Amino acid sequence: MNSRVWLLAPALAGLLLAAGCGGRSAPAASGHGPKVTVLTRHLDGVGQVLVTAKGYALYMFEPDNQRSVTCTGACAGSWPPVKVPDGGSYVAGAGVDGKLLGSDPDPEGGQVLTYNGWPLYTYTGDVQPAQATGQAIDLNGGEWYVLRPDGSPLKPTP
Amino acid sequence: MSTPGRRAILLAGGGLAVGAATTGTAWAATGSPAPARDGLPPDDDLMREHGVLKRVLLCYRAMTSQVEAGHPLTAAHVQDAALIIHDFTEGFHEGLEEGYVFPRLRSADPINSTVTGTVSTLLVQHARGRVITQYLLAQAAPVKTGPGGTLSADTSARVSGAMQAFVRMYEPHEAREDTVVFPAFRRIVPAQELADLGQHFADLEQQQFGRDEFTAMVARITAIEQALGSYDLSQFTPSVTPYLPA
Repeated sequence: MNSRVWLLAPALAGLLLAAGCGGRSAPAASGHGPKVTVLTRHLDGVGQVLVTAKGYALYMFEPDNQRSVTCTGACAGSWPPVKVPDGGSYVAGAGVDGKLLGSDPDPEGGQVLTYNGWPLYTYTGDVQPAQATGQAIDLNGGEWYVLRPDGSPLKPTP
Repeated sequence: MSTPGRRAILLAGGGLAVGAATTGTAWAATGSPAPARDGLPPDDDLMREHGVLKRVLLCYRAMTSQVEAGHPLTAAHVQDAALIIHDFTEGFHEGLEEGYVFPRLRSADPINSTVTGTVSTLLVQHARGRVITQYLLAQAAPVKTGPGGTLSADTSARVSGAMQAFVRMYEPHEAREDTVVFPAFRRIVPAQELADLGQHFADLEQQQFGRDEFTAMVARITAIEQALGSYDLSQFTPSVTPYLPA
C-alpha cells in the first residue's frame, strides 16, 4: 500500500464494508459492476432499520442536514461512510424504498450512498452485524441515529 | 484529501508561530508542553495523546476519592474533564486509531485471531467509553446542578461509579495499545509511510481544531488538576522511611 492510499484509509474502510457505486445520477438497481445493497432488519433496541448487506446498522449524522457529507478525517475513521465505487449501482433490498436511494460527493473523494438525502455511515463500535451501539450517540460534532425504512432518523422521544 | 502541509500552515499562520514561541517560553517557567510536533511519527503522536487521557483518568480518580470522603462533586469539574475525553480523545484520537491503525493491523494479518480479537475488544471499549462519557456529561448538565454548582450526593455517587468503570477499562486499554498495538503497527508500516501518516495526522488536527489541540488540551487538564488539588506532582512522592534498611 503506498502512502497516498494510506491517507484514504477511512474511505477504503467504507469501501470494504459496502462494495457499491454511483453518483447523484447513478442508477438505482440495474447495470454491471459492483453493487451496494441496502436492506432492512429488526435490531434489538431499535426495531426495523436500514442495514448493509452484511447486516451492519446504517446511521445518519445530523450536521449533514440531508444535504452533504460532513463527516471526514478522524470522524470518518469512527464512522466509515458507505462508499459507492465508480461504475457500479445501488440496490434496494426488501423493505427499502429504492426511490430514496442516491449519492452525494465525499469531500475526501468518490461518492457516499444516501437515503432520503442522508449520507449513510456504519459505526466501528458495531463489531458484529445486528448491533446499533452508535444509536443516539453525540460524537464528532453531532448526533447519530439509525434510519427507519421511511428515511426518518430514529430519535428518542423527549 | 487536499490539505495544506504542516509547514505551510505554520508559515501561513503568524499567530500560530507567535503562539508556539510563547508556549515554548512558558515551558521553562511553568512546565507547559513544548508544541513542536513536526516529524512526530503517528504512533508517538497517539501515545502522546494517551498522556492527556491518563491525566483525565487521574482527575476521575481524584473525584472518586472526593465522593468516598463524603464530599459532593462540582459539576463544572465533571463536565470539563468529560469534555476533554469527548472532544479530543473520543472525537479525534480514537477516530485516528479506528481509521488508520486498526484496519492496517487487521489487513496485515487477517487470520491472526489474537490481533483481530484485540482490535475488536478495543473497538468495543471505545464504544462503551463513549456511552459512559455521554452519561457523565448528562449527569453534570446545569439542570442537575445544585447550589454552588455541586451535584447531589446520589448523583455524585452515580458519577463516581461511572468514572471508576471508565478508569478500570481505559488503564489496561491504553497500556495494551502503547506496548502491543502501536509497536506492531510500527513493525508493519514502512518508514516513509509512517512519516507521511504523521504529517497527515498533524494536518487533520489542524483541520479539525484549527490549532495545536494537544497543547490546548494539556492547558485545560492542568486547570482541572489545579482546581482538584492534584496538580502538584510532588504530592505523589512517597516517603521511603518505612522502606529504609533497618
